[in-house]
Amino acid sequence: MPHLEIHDLTVSYEKNQPTLERFNLDVEQGELLSLLGPSGCGKTTTLRSVAGFIRPDSGRIVINGRDYTYLPPNQRDIGLVFQSYALFPHLTVFHNVAFGLRMRRIPKKEIHERVANALEMVGLEAFADRRPAQLSGGQQQRVALARATVIEPQVLLLDEPLSNLDAKLRVDMRQEIRRLQQQLGITTLYVTHDQVEAMSISDRVVVMNQGKIEQIGTPERIFAAPETVFVADFMGFDNHFSAAVVSVRDSKLTVNWGGAPIELTWRSKVGSPRPGARAEIFFRADNASLSAGPAASGLAGQVILHTFHGNEVRYLVATEIGEFSIMQDSASERFEPGAAVTVQPRAQKWIAIFEETEP
Amino acid sequence: MVSRWMVISLVILYGFLLGPFIIIFMASFGANANLAFPPQGFTLDWFANVFETSQFIDSFWISLQLALLSTIVSLIMGIPVAYALVRFDFAASGLVETVFSAPILVPGLVIGFAMLNFFVLLGDMHVMTGLFIGHTAILFPYSVRVISASLRNLDPYVEDAAVSLGANRLRGFLLVVLPNMQAGIAAAFVLGFITSFNNVPVSLFLSGPGVTTLPVSMLSYLEYYFDPTIAALSTLLVIFTVVLVQTAERLLGLSQFV
Repeated sequence: MPHLEIHDLTVSYEKNQPTLERFNLDVEQGELLSLLGPSGCGKTTTLRSVAGFIRPDSGRIVINGRDYTYLPPNQRDIGLVFQSYALFPHLTVFHNVAFGLRMRRIPKKEIHERVANALEMVGLEAFADRRPAQLSGGQQQRVALARATVIEPQVLLLDEPLSNLDAKLRVDMRQEIRRLQQQLGITTLYVTHDQVEAMSISDRVVVMNQGKIEQIGTPERIFAAPETVFVADFMGFDNHFSAAVVSVRDSKLTVNWGGAPIELTWRSKVGSPRPGARAEIFFRADNASLSAGPAASGLAGQVILHTFHGNEVRYLVATEIGEFSIMQDSASERFEPGAAVTVQPRAQKWIAIFEETEP
Repeated sequence: MVSRWMVISLVILYGFLLGPFIIIFMASFGANANLAFPPQGFTLDWFANVFETSQFIDSFWISLQLALLSTIVSLIMGIPVAYALVRFDFAASGLVETVFSAPILVPGLVIGFAMLNFFVLLGDMHVMTGLFIGHTAILFPYSVRVISASLRNLDPYVEDAAVSLGANRLRGFLLVVLPNMQAGIAAAFVLGFITSFNNVPVSLFLSGPGVTTLPVSMLSYLEYYFDPTIAALSTLLVIFTVVLVQTAERLLGLSQFV
């Protein structure tokens, strides 16, 4: 049985404009699941519904078999970490972390032990007497983590916890969050708009768009095999074009690339493509290569721009079906703007998405 | 570069600001029966006279009670209003804010006169009650403004954090929000107290027989006497105010709010 279940959750701030519509999600015990999507996709609404700050129009939230839907937020036993840390400015680090235990009327001696433990886990035992204003952003977020986990909550919720930190610290902190989460074995929902962050930290990722789930799966699966155009876009596929389907055989379909057929694995949430239908093809910049001049097969194009990235050079190439961004090893042959080239596909990692609904 | 002109204009500015105080201060020790500068001789008689003039002593107590009472009541009303204005985004919040600032913008004389008329219309009202209502009304916008300023510095999510940790909304407010409003409330208290204690225009209209605030009774004293008693009293008031503000500043860092 999943540890956290969300059934048919519908939330609307304005009438008839649901932010979430019949949203379903199961999170397993001890799993870290990310809600990934652009702002306004409903990920924070989901999180705040689980925390109890939003009363849903309909649907159910069940944690550990118990119905939480109408339980007030202060009785939920949920650890919450905010983007702004939301530490209590007038209390020391110790008293910030002890707050939840005091609310639970835990004996003083036990509070001291548990707070000391929690601070040790985040490496802040030496800072117990400081005020939040005397700590760096990373340290403040560690205090917030300790404060949220010391109460041993059923579920830990993190709302963009790293967005206020600088890039390097963000990488350190997400490893720290992951380590702490695994050490405690705590079921966790992690909200972020950063796909790299979601990939690196999660057991599973939920990509959300306009209050609905676009795709749910392991980071590897979502990265390599998006099922919708939205997910492919969001996962950083650099190149996209539409093509007519030439033929379909089981899980493969064939389209034309510069006069030659290429075979691709297709995915769809709406049905199966038929010959003549349009498929959306995506590929990353490193899944194609350039050769000089016209060639017998491949798509002819012209270099517009090149930018240097250390080990790679990235070319922008204009072709008759659109512009493509292609990455080449910087040790290989260089092409100047204006040069005629041929784009050769490395189609094993290309994906075809069929989204057209039947008329 | 700090030019010679900047120094000179600064000296002139401070001269005009502090000069009158220095003159009053020195004059309050003068032996002459008329307020004169430079003072001749030295005496503390005028200070003694302040304490012997029952008009001053009575009105001082009235001013003190009035200032304390109206400041406290304006705070009690101002805290929830400030909280609502900062935390909740409602359609009329701009309008509410404007309405609450009105007493700052309308001249005190107009408020005093309007209130006098209003209270006369209402019929028999105790003079002290009228003063209290009038002062509370002019202090209220100051409390709302100063307290909202301190609330805006507080992350709105700290309340959610407290609630998620097991506090109900009321405890969250009492344990987390209120302690962080402390400095703002104290600043509003000092500001309100001084504003009420020094107020002339509103008190002038609302004072009545036997019930007069200190500034008003100083004005009426000046109509009949021109001896250094007023200078001595002014000196005492300046010291009183400076001590009050300095204490508050020392304790709470008042200047970050005003």
